[in-house]
Amino acid sequence: MRGVAVQATPRSLKQGSERSPEGITQLGGIHVTDVVTADAAEAESATGDDERLSFQGVFQKLFIRPEIGAVLGATAIWTFFWAVSIPFGTAGGASNILDVSATLGIMAVAVAMLMIGGEFDLSSGAATGALGIVTLLLVRDVTGTAGGLGLHLLIALPLSFIVALALGWLNGTMVERTGLPSFIVTLATFFVLRGMKLGFAKLIVDQIQVGKMDDLKGENKGYEFFQKVFAYEWQRNDHQWALRDALYTGLVIVGLSLVVIAVYELHFKRKAQHNPIGMIMFVAGAALGVASVAILHLTDDTAGNWFGAIVGLAAMLIGFLGLGVWRYEMRGDRGTLKMPSDAVRSVGIGIVLIVLGVISAIVLDSDSNEQVLPLTTEQGLRAILFVGLSALGFVSLMVGVHQAGRVSRMSASAFTVGTAVIGLLMAFFVQSESESEKFRNEAFSIILVVSALALTWAIANYFFQNRGSSDIHIEHLGTRIAIAGLLIFLIGMLIRLLFTVDAEIEAGIAPAKYSVRILWFVAFTIACSWVLASTKFGSWVFAVGGNKQASRQVGVPAARTKTQLFMLVSVAAWLVGTLLAFRINTLQANTGNGLEFEYIIAAVVGGTMLTGGYGSTIGASIGAVIMAMSVLGIPNSNWNSDWRFVFLGAILLLAVIGNNFIKTKAENLR
Amino acid sequence: MKKMRWLAMLLAIVMVAAACGSDDDTGTADGGTDESTDESTDEGTDEGTDEGTDEGTDEGTDEGTDEVDVVQGGDLTFHMITHSDDGPFWTVVQNGAEAAAEAMGINLVWLASNNMPDVQAQLIDQAISEGSDGIASSLPSPDQLIPGLKAAADGGIPVYTLNSGVNDYESIGATTHVGQTEFIAGQGAGKRFNDLGATSILCGRQEESNVALEERCDGLADTFEGDVLSEFMGLDQDAAAQEANINATLAANPDIDGFMGAGPVIGLSGLRASEALGRDLTIAAFDITPEIIDAIDAGTIQFTVDQQQYLQGYLPIVLMFLEATNKNTAGGGLPILTGPGFVDSNNVSAVASLVEQSTR
Repeated sequence: MRGVAVQATPRSLKQGSERSPEGITQLGGIHVTDVVTADAAEAESATGDDERLSFQGVFQKLFIRPEIGAVLGATAIWTFFWAVSIPFGTAGGASNILDVSATLGIMAVAVAMLMIGGEFDLSSGAATGALGIVTLLLVRDVTGTAGGLGLHLLIALPLSFIVALALGWLNGTMVERTGLPSFIVTLATFFVLRGMKLGFAKLIVDQIQVGKMDDLKGENKGYEFFQKVFAYEWQRNDHQWALRDALYTGLVIVGLSLVVIAVYELHFKRKAQHNPIGMIMFVAGAALGVASVAILHLTDDTAGNWFGAIVGLAAMLIGFLGLGVWRYEMRGDRGTLKMPSDAVRSVGIGIVLIVLGVISAIVLDSDSNEQVLPLTTEQGLRAILFVGLSALGFVSLMVGVHQAGRVSRMSASAFTVGTAVIGLLMAFFVQSESESEKFRNEAFSIILVVSALALTWAIANYFFQNRGSSDIHIEHLGTRIAIAGLLIFLIGMLIRLLFTVDAEIEAGIAPAKYSVRILWFVAFTIACSWVLASTKFGSWVFAVGGNKQASRQVGVPAARTKTQLFMLVSVAAWLVGTLLAFRINTLQANTGNGLEFEYIIAAVVGGTMLTGGYGSTIGASIGAVIMAMSVLGIPNSNWNSDWRFVFLGAILLLAVIGNNFIKTKAENLR
Repeated sequence: MKKMRWLAMLLAIVMVAAACGSDDDTGTADGGTDESTDESTDEGTDEGTDEGTDEGTDEGTDEGTDEVDVVQGGDLTFHMITHSDDGPFWTVVQNGAEAAAEAMGINLVWLASNNMPDVQAQLIDQAISEGSDGIASSLPSPDQLIPGLKAAADGGIPVYTLNSGVNDYESIGATTHVGQTEFIAGQGAGKRFNDLGATSILCGRQEESNVALEERCDGLADTFEGDVLSEFMGLDQDAAAQEANINATLAANPDIDGFMGAGPVIGLSGLRASEALGRDLTIAAFDITPEIIDAIDAGTIQFTVDQQQYLQGYLPIVLMFLEATNKNTAGGGLPILTGPGFVDSNNVSAVASLVEQSTR
């Protein structure tokens, strides 16, 4: 990486002097900040070819992220099960998925970091149970027999934490000292832990399970406090909030708009002189947007929804085009409309698929629960065919747009407009034809919004010129707007998930509860991602995983880094063990055995490579969500559980193939 | 003291076995390999064996067979040979056998193979060689164990199977089988659910493709009058995911009003899932653990199905005693069932104290 930075210097100089006087001062900034993200593209530019080759557009940047495959996979699986199952898409389903994801995800994130560092820890699954049992044995107090030490939790938890650190240190040191593959060393640790769990449990409490954490209630050992820290549960049905819908809709729309603005900002070339007419248009669009939300909320009947949707569509077109007129340079050469044969073919296939999907939705009975295949019911088959075929159709349409884009700007825009129109038609088809509430409301809104965005994007992309060079100011601003938008969007969704309204309670909605373990999961993921992305230690992790020998030669303390990674994994195992102990109170001696492979799978599904040096903690956490969704979607859809591993296997294969495909594509894009 | 006595006895058995193997190998001359091993044991144990056989035959077989009517069975030696892993389950079986041995006044040799069929087969051969007065054996892996037990029965030793072996006890010539069949246990649970007024049950299994667990759910479906959905709900190793699985299934089936866990851990997972969903289910489980006892005591779980494995230790000893002393054969060719016993709110407090004594 350092080599790359040095090579990049001439280009940075040139760029700086071309752009503005600030460029020179930025030079230092490029050195410091870009060194981390500097990649092959910059190295290429040093050879003196077309400078635009070095510039990465906003979409390119997005697609070379290792977690992008996992994000797309998670979206696809969620949509799939949302369509085929009734409880899956509800708040109860979400709480259930997040609950399973939490413990799996904490471990997957830690394991992903270890794997990026080039090692495996097969003892991680057994360690979760072992460390939970250690805590339980420390706090348990049974008079008469040797039933634990009866310590205060304030002492017991740090003690078991120290045990966790020691376990990780032992794993790391053994791997480093012996030079043996961590696969073998930690396999040995796994067996030892497995035996010790059973052996000690039977020796100390004479049972194959250790537990009754909740017996500490009222014993003044800090149980009440720590129970809240590790196992507090938020009961959604107890929290009603009349303002919920207005608030969450507003936040979601504002969040999405900010993301779109960020994309515009990052994609289009800024104008020297702002155009006030554009600003007025933008404000008018925003006002129309508010009006459309109001209409959607105040009217409940179908006609009102149509009307509100059309107002919203107009708002989007006016607002975002206004934004373009206001801030961005017009395009000079737009090319001519050409119809490349491959693009036409893709579009044709897409349309055929969508039509087939629509036909199957019309032909099949929407409320028959008759089993048609061993896996599913007629109703489920209908949803699968409709959602699957039309999703494939849209993918094919997008491939067509991409192919047209190679020929000319004009063609790309025309094809995008066509796709967006088909999307709009689809939205209104769903709205008018579907008998299911969720399709009529949620699916309709989502398809509508996405199609409208595509439409405005096609028009904007036709009129305005895109940036050809990187500019650190624009990129910082754009990234911040995008992150703010995403956060606002997530807060909106969170409000939707955490609160309920009177109408839902009256309709007898199933309760949903959120455990505090989800917060632990999120916090742990954010902390690890920050460490990996922004600290020296994070760079070392990539370095030792990529090439240990080389990293050592440039001064990375390889052995120490790896040992610390093993310690991170056992700390994660301690956290998960503690969460489990407070959740289910009694741990069996076999708790966690064999789950280490699930952690590794989640990390791999999330885009982490088995060979080390490449991966993502965010991806691993999404990988855990994918695993949880795949496992829980099956009972949620009432499918026969005998087949669930077939499904799990298929998902894994698809996720990894998809990931690999996207990565190769992204690398070609560079 | 007890342990020391056993140790001595075990030593004696090993010696006797070795001696008998070398002296009269006419009984089981299967092939060349047998002879060669016999020769090798011959040389190694010649010195020690003589004394061993003397003791063994003097005290055990000779007097035992001669004076059956006179003595209260004091010189009878019964062997209980199981695949026990010394876990809490088998501890209860062992306690039952020991209590019976004490009551009958016989010698009991408890031999555990810790789930190793080869070792168990060896232990059976040793018991035969020693001239056991009765062998009670579990039969987890028929292929390895049937030849030995058949030989014992053919040789006139009373043979009983316990715990597992209900399908094979007749073919080996055992007098009867003492145990529980999973199907009948499930049937019993189904009747209970009928009485409790459930209309649709989820039978959650904690392992996929485990025959015993499937049979429990099949038995339930057999006697239960409503619908039974039998599904694999995730491993005990990941109890939180198990709970989520049950939660997901219950959410997809709003009409389900009962849950049966095919084990204790999954029973508790079902309880937590029903609480999370706010559904008032009739919940039952299999086997007894302290948590299950607590839950039944609190009324959150309605009952648990108990194998009553104490009987599986106790009854074979009594039956062997009666066969040896009085030539009784119980069972009439049918197995003797030890279960299903049920623990519910009526007997939970009594059972709880018995669990502490390791007799339930």
